[in-house]
Amino acid sequence: MAADPFARLADRQQSLRTALRALQAAGPGSPDFQPLLATANAEVDAVMQARRDVEAARLTTPNRAIAVATTAAALIVAVGWFDAWSLLSLLVAVATAASVLVDPVGRRFFEPLARTTAISAALAATLLTPLASGWATLVTAAGIAWWAWRTQR
Amino acid sequence: MNIDPVKDLDGKVERLKKELKSLETRVDNVQTDAAHNQLSQTNQLKDNTRKLTKTNDRVTELAESVHRLERLLVALNRKVRASETKKANFDDWPEIGEAEIAKILKGQEAYARKAFTPQEAKDTRKAIAEYDRRALEAIEAAEALTHLPPTAEALWRKNYQQWRAIADQERPEAPDDDTHAKDTVAKSAGNEAIAHTRQLIRARIEDAVARDLLFPAWFENVLGPAAPPGKADDWLYTATDVVLYRLLHDVTSPADALGPAPQEEGHRKTLHDRLTGECADYRKP
Repeated sequence: MAADPFARLADRQQSLRTALRALQAAGPGSPDFQPLLATANAEVDAVMQARRDVEAARLTTPNRAIAVATTAAALIVAVGWFDAWSLLSLLVAVATAASVLVDPVGRRFFEPLARTTAISAALAATLLTPLASGWATLVTAAGIAWWAWRTQR
Repeated sequence: MNIDPVKDLDGKVERLKKELKSLETRVDNVQTDAAHNQLSQTNQLKDNTRKLTKTNDRVTELAESVHRLERLLVALNRKVRASETKKANFDDWPEIGEAEIAKILKGQEAYARKAFTPQEAKDTRKAIAEYDRRALEAIEAAEALTHLPPTAEALWRKNYQQWRAIADQERPEAPDDDTHAKDTVAKSAGNEAIAHTRQLIRARIEDAVARDLLFPAWFENVLGPAAPPGKADDWLYTATDVVLYRLLHDVTSPADALGPAPQEEGHRKTLHDRLTGECADYRKP
């Protein structure tokens, strides 16, 4: 098995193609359709996993970078535009950034990009905090909701 | 004769009084007699009732002992006959082959199988067509997954969902057109086999009855020592069924003709219940 995620994805896609060809040849009515379907299902899952790995490889660094930027921006905003009400937004943003720093891509099929969205929302909220103060929390919350919606389904 | 009318009247009254008294005495006597009679009759009645009750008890006792004697007699009869009479064999049936029994069982299965109604068949066919259509779509979607670039997340998502729609589901069972025809064949073959087998069994039972052979213990236990008078045909029919039941369901107990009652509903349970009821009727005194 290839170590490079792109090569592995291509590999998986190739074997999925083979499985699908067998499935198509059998046709829905044939007796071995169900076992072939199970095989193809496993192949599809493997392809999805390989694609997630590709995405993870692509997005690990950006996600971490955005998380670091969010933390830094939150510190700057907290010091420069200090306001008790703003602290809520900043704390939530920092918490999001911390969880993304720890695990930048997650484990589910569509999680890497969802995490990018969430952390970008947290950064946007941090930058908006001087203007919207505590209300900027809503932006972070929306980002987290988006992440949950994309991931859990 | 008195000249004084008052005295005359007085004398009359006296006489009448006397007569009245004597009448009263007689009435009293009669009443006492009647009471006496009634009492004695009541006593007699009571006595009779007591006697009757005693007799009744005695009769019940006698009936019980007659039953005991009857049972003893049957057992004794069996023992006596067992020493010198030939035994009827209802346990081995070399002339009824495995194939025949398999046919009968197949026929019973065919009767038990639920037949698709035309509407159900139509609905199922529709569901199958729908499944097949979606399966083809899902295969196409999965095909797309094999050449999508990894960044086109929306497309990946859409195609993956389309695939999931089919991957977890099973294709409904097709309403087999052949099933009906096959069942009909199995049913008629089973009917023929059952008629033939029944004939063989009945012939052997009739032969045993004619030659006065000793029935197996299980047979006598369940059907009694002989056919009840006037019911020979019904009795033979039930006896044939009992033997057939043992043969079909592999009951080999030497004492218990029908074996334990089957748990699950079905042809076997129905037959078991029917035979139990009928045989109980034949054993009634």
